[in-house]
Amino acid sequence: MTPPTEPTPGGTVLSVRGLCVRFEMRDGSYVRAVTDASFDLAAGECLALVGESGCGKSVLASALLGLLPANASVAGSAVLGDAGSGAGGLDLLAADERVLAREVRGRRVGLVPQSPVAHLTPVRTVRSHLDETVRALTGTSGPDGVRAAAGRAAFPEDHLDRHPHQLSGGLAQRAATALALVGDASLLLADEPTTGLDRDLVERTVDELRRHTGDHRALLLITHDLAAAGRIADRVAVMYAGRLVEITDAAAFFGAPGPRHPYARGLLNALPERDFAPVPGLPPELGALPEGCAFAPRCDRASEACATVPELTSGVACHHVAVARA
Amino acid sequence: MADTATTSGKTEVWRTRAVVRRSTRAWRVRGSAAVVLVLVLAVLLVPPFAQLDQQAVDLTAKLRPPSWAHPFGTDDVGRDLLLRCVYGLRVSLLVGVVAAVVATVVGTAVGALAGALGGWPDRLLMRLVDVFASVPHLLLGIFIVAMFRPGVWPVVVSVALTHWLSTARIVRAEVLSLRSRPYVDAAISGGASRHRVAVRHLLPGVLPQAGLAAVLMVPHAVWHESALSFLGLGLPTHQASLGTLVQSARGSLLAGDWWPTLFPGLCAVVATLAIAGLAGAWRERLNPRRRSELML
Amino acid sequence: MLELRDVTAGYDRRAPVVRGVSLTVRVGEAVGLLGPSGCGKSTLARVAALLHRPDAGQVVLDGEPAAGWRHRAPRAQRTSFGVVFQQPRLSADPRLPLARLIAEPLRANGRPVDAVPELAETVGLTADLLGRRPHEVSDGQLQRACLARALALRPRWLVCDEMTAMLDASTTAALVGVVEAYRRESGAGLLAVGHDRVLLERWCDRTVGWAELTSA
Repeated sequence: MTPPTEPTPGGTVLSVRGLCVRFEMRDGSYVRAVTDASFDLAAGECLALVGESGCGKSVLASALLGLLPANASVAGSAVLGDAGSGAGGLDLLAADERVLAREVRGRRVGLVPQSPVAHLTPVRTVRSHLDETVRALTGTSGPDGVRAAAGRAAFPEDHLDRHPHQLSGGLAQRAATALALVGDASLLLADEPTTGLDRDLVERTVDELRRHTGDHRALLLITHDLAAAGRIADRVAVMYAGRLVEITDAAAFFGAPGPRHPYARGLLNALPERDFAPVPGLPPELGALPEGCAFAPRCDRASEACATVPELTSGVACHHVAVARA
Repeated sequence: MADTATTSGKTEVWRTRAVVRRSTRAWRVRGSAAVVLVLVLAVLLVPPFAQLDQQAVDLTAKLRPPSWAHPFGTDDVGRDLLLRCVYGLRVSLLVGVVAAVVATVVGTAVGALAGALGGWPDRLLMRLVDVFASVPHLLLGIFIVAMFRPGVWPVVVSVALTHWLSTARIVRAEVLSLRSRPYVDAAISGGASRHRVAVRHLLPGVLPQAGLAAVLMVPHAVWHESALSFLGLGLPTHQASLGTLVQSARGSLLAGDWWPTLFPGLCAVVATLAIAGLAGAWRERLNPRRRSELML
Repeated sequence: MLELRDVTAGYDRRAPVVRGVSLTVRVGEAVGLLGPSGCGKSTLARVAALLHRPDAGQVVLDGEPAAGWRHRAPRAQRTSFGVVFQQPRLSADPRLPLARLIAEPLRANGRPVDAVPELAETVGLTADLLGRRPHEVSDGQLQRACLARALALRPRWLVCDEMTAMLDASTTAALVGVVEAYRRESGAGLLAVGHDRVLLERWCDRTVGWAELTSA
């Protein structure tokens, strides 16, 4: 295996085109969890994927890692690495399990898990976790590699011999981050890394993730926590009922002029520091999506135009925004 | 595997992983179910409906190897072994099922009481379990059958009394785990009585586990019955069970006649594997992660 | 008025997580209890809802001391609390469809269950979701059902322990809206436990930090 060359700042790390995921149900019908997702992720960039629970954002992460259950199937492509630079453009969706296990997970894509304590083996110390991962991913062993790996995630050296349950939430999160960073992957994938953490700890965790992104890595942060996303993201992708409805610059999204898609605006306004008003209604069932724009039944601007599915053009998928711009 | 579908004008190529594992599992389940069905129908229907006497002795046809007339061959007094196996399996399964049900009921009651009451009743009941468990259970089983005349019921009692321990432990652990769930707190806060919490929330949560333990115990109990009978302590030798059949075939096996030993043994193995296969499928269904087809 | 007087509680008598804490929720008042995770605030919430027996101290409901905890509390006292927990998956009996889940407190008290559709509507659950079991709905939908269950007996106090920690902004705002609408109409008091200062300050009449509570 040749070590993947370091992506240059600004080079494409991940290019997703037309990604779809569907699940075959027992009665033979299909449920589409992700439909036609396309986005690019550049080195040094952090993209936050936000949306309500059950909108399909975690399914998207599992698809990228090849961790979907047996009744799922995927379409589209998700090319890892800059195809132009010769760093090896690998389609994550087409790669077989052996390639994913040996070359991708941990080596080219580092996963920062949702619940770090559950991610660590309870009967083993942090040192033995790190030691094993360092040996498996870099082929070297010994205390130096472990210390360096711990140091990278600011995990205190005197806590290395503790077991997961003896760590505070923040330290467990750092241990999991240290493991994700060992392989020096060019893409970090963080799936709800802050669920159940205190506000202070949320901020520390995402700040550290941002710091590790540096110039040469890309970070895909999947979260329902808009405040966390607003803190570190360069760009924001909003997912609704399995589709990306807006991808835009984070500064514009959280500041002025704000989100353009009505759903994204509603979601942001639901924050307690803003209007604290919910988006009316419930998200639709992925198995029974309405015809046309999935948000129309909850949207105050819905009209006849919404009977067709809006295309994602110039970063937003809404008939009314497109009309306003034309 | 790939197939194509056209949606909104675009052609999509669908790829999926691990299709093979899913279908082989389905076939294993179907195979097990078919075998169990055939065995159950055979032991239920053949004895009352077939006008055949399993005890019919034909000394002119003793120790015949398998043939069309006698697919499993005949034994040392010329009885048809296929028919003897069906009767043997009937007795063995009866002993196995009844013993497993009794053991599960006793185990569930003890485990649920210990887990739900806690405190000193819990400690007392669990020490009782430890005392039983400290004696090797085949030895204890032999001791129990030795106190009675040979027959079906002493064997049932013996197997049941030595097999409720693990169920009691499983059920107690499950009750303890369920009891600390917030949904029990919510039920208490909603005014549910102790009885209601136990009957509506705790028991239904442990019954599938207990049922699974019972199914897995049936083949185990069949083997225990066979072991006791083989040792000459279980059923009287004239009563066909898989154990007595193998036991009475010992003499002919030494003379090189293999079929009187092989076929009853094979019956026990096939029944065990089929029941275990079905129980495995049930265990898969109990796993909540498997229950949901959509991962959200 | 709900008073916690000098409560000491925990899971190990030698190392209680709550030591000598006093807290009062006046009639109709919404009190936010702010603290880092693992500090013992959830234990205090369980003591307040009569679900955990404290090692020392008293809980007083409208001048009347709590007569017991868990099943030993008189039914009238323990049903005067509606509780909602952090993790909807663990708070719902996995075998019960949502309609049964919401109806459970009504059934336990022998009351008619015809209020269920209205309760479901209050929390924004549509009729097609009521027949589903917990693993067939999202966390947000399940937490809505758990809130409906907490409101079923029209409690005089609501105890919300990190009710929205797992939920997105829109569902959070919706559930807080439901709680507030109920409180406006019924005059119920609220003890909301959480770690999100912005949320609790927006939601509650007053917010108490765990540190000030334990040092006082």
